[in-house]
Amino acid sequence: MTDRGLRIVVGGLALAGAAIAGYLTHARLTGTTVTCATGGCETVQSSAYSEVLGLPVAVVGLAAYLALLGTALAANDLARLTGAALALVGVVFGAYLLAVQVVVLDAICQWCLASDAVMALLAAAAVGRLAPDRVAALLPRPLRTATRPAASR
Amino acid sequence: MAQARTAPGRSAPGRAALTRSRLAAVAALAAILSLSLIAASLLGARGGGGGGVSPSVAVHGASQVERLLQGIPQEAGVLGEPAAPVTLVEYADLQCPFCAEWAVTTFPELVDRYVRAGLLRVELRGLAFIGPDSETALRTALAAGEQDRLWHVVELLYLNQGGENAGWVDDELLRGIARSVPGLDEERLLAEPGSEAVGARLAEAAAAAEAAGVTGTPWFELGPTGGDLRRLEVSSLGPGEFRAAIEALLAG
Repeated sequence: MTDRGLRIVVGGLALAGAAIAGYLTHARLTGTTVTCATGGCETVQSSAYSEVLGLPVAVVGLAAYLALLGTALAANDLARLTGAALALVGVVFGAYLLAVQVVVLDAICQWCLASDAVMALLAAAAVGRLAPDRVAALLPRPLRTATRPAASR
Repeated sequence: MAQARTAPGRSAPGRAALTRSRLAAVAALAAILSLSLIAASLLGARGGGGGGVSPSVAVHGASQVERLLQGIPQEAGVLGEPAAPVTLVEYADLQCPFCAEWAVTTFPELVDRYVRAGLLRVELRGLAFIGPDSETALRTALAAGEQDRLWHVVELLYLNQGGENAGWVDDELLRGIARSVPGLDEERLLAEPGSEAVGARLAEAAAAAEAAGVTGTPWFELGPTGGDLRRLEVSSLGPGEFRAAIEALLAG
């Protein structure tokens, strides 16, 4: 898969993540209740763990997704390295917050789970941008040939 | 990619080394940043960052109270639709154990059955005659009323009620409650109990209680909204007599 292809994947996932984090940020800032099938969203959103460095975690997440979207727009090394590092931080911090939900709060927030899944996929794509050749080797053959330049056929 | 496989032998290891060093740099940077964020989160949750004591989890009953009151309009001390045909006034001291009993046995049923349906509005007139903890609790509840969350705070205070004047209404409990109520501004809540608006509401309720001849709590008045409210004397704090009186007013 080409860097361009991975950029599209990173960009799309960053938009999805930004939508989730944006929804949680909006709910937090306006004081509205989050739609919640798991029943624990309010407990999680109102717990002391919902803030880091004085900022709501949802806001931090939104900023991270927007920054990741920014890295998808550029094709240089700085964008690739920043994107991979950011997404890995997102995955690790998301895993920590998931552990807090299960162990400390005994409440699960479905939006956080959705964000964790998006961030995990995003990290795979963002790290993949560091070694697009290896990503190509992992893909099924039709996808590989589809991205091969016409001249080499 | 085809080019990569057929590239001269010396550039492939070079590329692999570059990829490895990049991955290592990214992994190191990510590890440092993640650990810093986690440390900040843990310190923040334990109150180590700000120096103040703050509970790491929501107070007892937070989700139960949120489920009960979610989506029901509140304005100052009034819960329910302003146009609801029947009004129930409760005079209460937030330290009074019978008020707490009513709050957990009967109030939720009245909310689910009548308030949520737009048939009943409930007004709290808070009194603080038991002692200092009553006044701190009431002032905080009235301050929450300024943010239209009085009933959330009242219910959480009842659910976490301690011994009379044992000092249970402390900063830790109030911060825990503030953090457990979605949309409640913690700093504003803790800054407002001494405000003039809160003092005025306190005096208003005390005057109303004196006019009504209230001699103990909980003390109830029931009647058509905007009309003549009469004292509702009950033999027990269970929901039965309240339901019957409300049904009679709704039918009439």
